[in-house]
Amino acid sequence: MSQQISRNALLPGKAKVVIFYVALILATLFWLAPVITLILTALKDAGDFAVNGAFSFPKSIRWENFSEAWETGVKNYFWNSVIVTGFKVPIGIVLESMAAFALTHMHFRWADRVFTYILIGLIVPMQMTLVPLTLLMNALNLIDTLTGLTILYIGFGVPFGVLVMRGFFRTVPVAIIEAARIDGCSWFKIFYRIALPLAIPAVVSLCILDGVATWNEFILAQIFLRSDELRTLPLGLVQFSTQFSTQYDQLAAAVLISVVPIVLVFLFFQRYFVAGMGGAVK
Amino acid sequence: MASEKTATLAPRTAKSAIKSDDSLRFLPWLFLAPSLVIYTIVVVYPMVYSSYLSLFRWDGVAPTKAFVGLDNYGILLTQNDVFWIALRNNAIWLVAALLLPTSIGLGLAILLNSKFRGSHISRSVFYFPSVLSLAVVGLIWTWIYHPDLGLLNQVMRTMGLGALTRNWLSDPNIALYPVIIAATWNAVGLPMLLYLAGLQTIPEELHEAAKVEGALPIQRFVYITFPLLKETTLVVLAITAINALKAYDIIYAMTNGGPANRTQLLSTWMYFLTYNYNQVGLGTAIAVVLFSLTLIFAIPYIRFMTRKT
Repeated sequence: MSQQISRNALLPGKAKVVIFYVALILATLFWLAPVITLILTALKDAGDFAVNGAFSFPKSIRWENFSEAWETGVKNYFWNSVIVTGFKVPIGIVLESMAAFALTHMHFRWADRVFTYILIGLIVPMQMTLVPLTLLMNALNLIDTLTGLTILYIGFGVPFGVLVMRGFFRTVPVAIIEAARIDGCSWFKIFYRIALPLAIPAVVSLCILDGVATWNEFILAQIFLRSDELRTLPLGLVQFSTQFSTQYDQLAAAVLISVVPIVLVFLFFQRYFVAGMGGAVK
Repeated sequence: MASEKTATLAPRTAKSAIKSDDSLRFLPWLFLAPSLVIYTIVVVYPMVYSSYLSLFRWDGVAPTKAFVGLDNYGILLTQNDVFWIALRNNAIWLVAALLLPTSIGLGLAILLNSKFRGSHISRSVFYFPSVLSLAVVGLIWTWIYHPDLGLLNQVMRTMGLGALTRNWLSDPNIALYPVIIAATWNAVGLPMLLYLAGLQTIPEELHEAAKVEGALPIQRFVYITFPLLKETTLVVLAITAINALKAYDIIYAMTNGGPANRTQLLSTWMYFLTYNYNQVGLGTAIAVVLFSLTLIFAIPYIRFMTRKT
């Protein structure tokens, strides 16, 4: 970019570069303004907020907002989200990679038709399933349980998981699989000793994308969790906001707590977001 | 390609050994079974059953349902004003989603595709809102739009635009648009990521050659970059449209369909009818309408995804 800019002779190269960076920094600040507001609000006390509004530096930093929000219920929401995500993601990935393996390497005659059948799930609006799922979950006594919610998440996760894993398994050379087969390796062994270890990058990508999606899920949690102590974070936060609608400081702190794990994952595993999405489109 | 290679590398018996592999008659089904069973029970069966329920009048509790044929759809079309508001809002939302996040994403991708100090961190910054949940995005933007203390009105007042400030989310005539802007903030990341991946596949030499011929940047975009991004663009438009029709959480967090149902979408109105007013027949009928709308964009998308198998 800087090269391209300096080639233009209207302004001296240096000045153009400076202008470019100033514009970029302004755009970045503009883009992050909502997040900055959130952080500033979480750090100040309610009185300060009421007088000076959201976008001003706190008079004094009030860390208690975080501990108070945590004790008011965020603690529960947080651990519920951890439990649901912690079970959903690994179980889902095992099921999805087995299915994807069968669709790519097992000379399966129905592979294309089964894959299309699975892809339908990517486009279904949640609303299309809610009423029958309510009846079903009711009959199975799974309403208002984290187990029930986790099972639903696993089911809804199948299409995207199979899509990503299939995209990866297609790049595993057939020769490797066939060689192992000729050496007398069973298909289960080929799957977990050869295909799955090769697929570690895809598995990590999927873990992250799926983990974030599960952490953020709202509508199923809203329909199928009824009691406050079982709520997951997104649902709990919205409820928190209607209950304590004027305590912006605590609410902002609560939102910030819910975002921190996502930010950490995002910072450390960024390239996997790109790899995972790439796998989904290939 | 791969199979040709195998044929030459491995002994002739290799392929036939796998082809005639007896264990492959049932084994693939065994590998697929756990996924297919849970997916069918949780996603497919409910879809079919919802379509069936849309033909009945039912409150969700009574032991008997009254078969009414397509009456629920008729009621929605002729007697349910909010259905039309929701449909119109979905259309507005869809148009905005097809224009805004896609073009902003493309612009950012082109800008940030070139290597310069800070290009990577800038990508992360612009992608960042996409990893937040829509409920959180909704909550954050609700503060931005707060009539007295929100950032937007504060900035407008400092700029001398005090007369134009308003309670953005309570004004029935405009409340939908602030929500769309918040949703756009969240939706830009995905198109940007997909376009960045698409740009990587365009060979540098093409641009170099065009530069030598004296093509301006805008010409290089129109004649080289954009045509080569056609496939990416199709995927981006399809995914954005499908996601736009799924919008729900952000409405719930920001306006809850109000004021006076003016920001209802089909997705939220389905929830209201089903779970607040116990109109299960009408609710499922809306779900079917929403799904049919999705199919318009989804069928070409699924065709594309399954094309080269």
